[in-house]
Amino acid sequence: MAAKKNKSKFHSNGNHSRPKTNKPAAANPQQRTYPIPDLRLEKPNFIIRQVGKGEDVHYQVSGELNTPVPPIRDSKYLNKQQTIEIYRYMLLNRKMEIALENLYKQGKVVGGVYFGLGQEACSCASAYALDKDDWFAPMIRNQGALLVRGFRARDTMMQYMAKADSPTKGRDGTSHFGDIYQRNMVSPISMLGDLIPVLSGVALGARLQGRNVAALTWIGDGGQSTGVTYEGINFAAVQDLGLVLVVESNLWAYSTPSEMQYRVKDLAERAIGYGIPGVIVDGTDACQVYDAVRDAVERAHRGEGASLIEAKMMRMKGHAIHDGADYVPKPLFEYWKRRDPIARFENYLVNVKKWLPAAENKQLIAEVEKEIEVEREAAVSSPMPKPESALGGVYCEHGCHTIKPKYGVPKVKTGAGKFKETEAAVHLK
Amino acid sequence: MAQLTYLEAIRQGIWEEMERDPTVFCLGEDIGIYGGAFKITDGFIDRFGPERVIDTPIAESAIVGAAFGASLTGMRPVAEFQFMDFIACAMNQISNMVAKTHYLWGAPAPLVLRGPSGGNVHGGPFHSQNPEMWFVHNPGLKVVCPASAYDAKGLIKASIRDNNPVVFFEHKYLYRRIKEEIPAEDYIVALGKARVAREGRDLSIITYAAMVFTALEAAEILAKEGIDVEVIDLRTLAPLDRDAIANTVRKTNKVILLHEDAKTGGIAGELAAIINEEAFDDLDGPIVRIAALDTPVPFSPPQEEYFLPKVSDVVREARRLKAY
Repeated sequence: MAAKKNKSKFHSNGNHSRPKTNKPAAANPQQRTYPIPDLRLEKPNFIIRQVGKGEDVHYQVSGELNTPVPPIRDSKYLNKQQTIEIYRYMLLNRKMEIALENLYKQGKVVGGVYFGLGQEACSCASAYALDKDDWFAPMIRNQGALLVRGFRARDTMMQYMAKADSPTKGRDGTSHFGDIYQRNMVSPISMLGDLIPVLSGVALGARLQGRNVAALTWIGDGGQSTGVTYEGINFAAVQDLGLVLVVESNLWAYSTPSEMQYRVKDLAERAIGYGIPGVIVDGTDACQVYDAVRDAVERAHRGEGASLIEAKMMRMKGHAIHDGADYVPKPLFEYWKRRDPIARFENYLVNVKKWLPAAENKQLIAEVEKEIEVEREAAVSSPMPKPESALGGVYCEHGCHTIKPKYGVPKVKTGAGKFKETEAAVHLK
Repeated sequence: MAQLTYLEAIRQGIWEEMERDPTVFCLGEDIGIYGGAFKITDGFIDRFGPERVIDTPIAESAIVGAAFGASLTGMRPVAEFQFMDFIACAMNQISNMVAKTHYLWGAPAPLVLRGPSGGNVHGGPFHSQNPEMWFVHNPGLKVVCPASAYDAKGLIKASIRDNNPVVFFEHKYLYRRIKEEIPAEDYIVALGKARVAREGRDLSIITYAAMVFTALEAAEILAKEGIDVEVIDLRTLAPLDRDAIANTVRKTNKVILLHEDAKTGGIAGELAAIINEEAFDDLDGPIVRIAALDTPVPFSPPQEEYFLPKVSDVVREARRLKAY
């Protein structure tokens, strides 16, 4: 891919080529250029600035906000049935979150509710790109990924309501749960970036057992500012581990715009710094997300190492339910509302590909709504935990778990070295 | 039986576990060809290969995160911190990720985080600390601080076999200063059990790690004066052996709590509370605390000597308590 001078009036130091090609630009052999593949069919071009003074400091957006909505890009891999399945998961994701919002309004939720509105394509299509033996660890806006991996909506709902039958039996909320046996999910923690080295370690553990698995996690444009993000990706890069990192550039980290998080033009450029492939996709286009993540997953399965996918979109609600997101300039909401991932995908399936006749679509939506209703009922009917169930389980003891290598006993190669006393000089005596 | 230093005992313990169990592997900074800053893993890479003796970037959070992730697949990682002072860099991984895992979502995390701690080697404020209490205060972790070569080997082996995350503090002052007979056959020292390092009738000193030797040295001096001191080596700070703590107080009725960690927030405060709860009626004198100053560890030898608890401090306080 040729390195093209970026014509954006906005800052950029992204004019580098990737190490894979590593060809110097013709014009200036001193300057290394690394192209970043970009699957998008449009490139949003606007900037958010903090303006005003005194009592009226606010964010203002300027740029091209009236461009037409691009079409969905046909997938290299997905067939009709798979595409419809992803669409169904996206619907489930959204309708589960609507149900959660209602449960919150009914006073049934303990704490807040977090939404992935506008990010359903990213959550669902990326998780859909995993194989059964692969691993994942969702962030708070990836509740759809759990549905794709086989958890039921009631699991997440019961977490939010702190119920006795929730996966953590009331000990944690939201999507903070996991399963190392069936669905290969690492429970998230609230601190951002810490899942990245953990997923790298999952890939390391599997590799020691002779299996190259893909280990998928996500990070936001805010979360990627943390130091552990760098440590985790770099570790995976150095060790050629099958980390698949989806950077969800959703423009807002709580109330802080991405312009105040980083100075590169696109976060995919960070991949250059790690020495791993990076790619940009439209996060509201499920086909683009799937294709990029599937490429990364297959690269992981081949043992070739980590990949970074930047998915561009916008978080269409506040940080959590309490947050009305009044700091977001209205035209931005309007711009991204036109790019609603579900509406676009529906149009693609019903009108463009004609894979899903209107009547079948209607039926599918009704089924999803029915399913969510059943899940909601089940979740609500679960009792609250007994107070004393707070006790126990701090340690794994009394044979509560048998630990064995998941993919088989590592085949060890033993060298000729024998144990002998060391006589080498040391740091401090 | 072979004479092994504390350092060699740990090396041998890890080596034997790697021979015994193919899921055990090591990762850390400079542990491969170089063999680690203190040579704990010297020669390991030649025996076990670079796949199981992994040199990492200088990234403590990544080391812990990767160890934890691997443990979720059923591996038993042994992660080295070059100095335990640097474990602060990985605090979020340990405190919020690793320690809470089993309680919150029921996943066991069998990993060992090990490295040298402690002063008296003129390492200065960033190479001499005793950060064990940061982890004692984190439910879900086990915290081990061996004082003898025998225990060091038995405890590291038990830590590797344990199904929980263990933070293993090796006292660097002891690495090459103590040498003991170590049995040739496989053995472990159970976590959570204290030992009586010296039996006595008149008063007890409860301590751990290098301060066990300070207590034993003081006990020898006091014995000549007719004061018969019992020394309890805690060996494990989490979980604490409450029975051993209460039993020695019931026996001698007077107790000195001694540690190299800073006084405020050190384990002595917790021990005093346990004694209060379990054996208050058995006390015939005030609970005495001897600990390091509430300052960072100073660098210059005269300052560091002043900072650390000394044999003379223990002898003085023991005489005072005996006379009480």
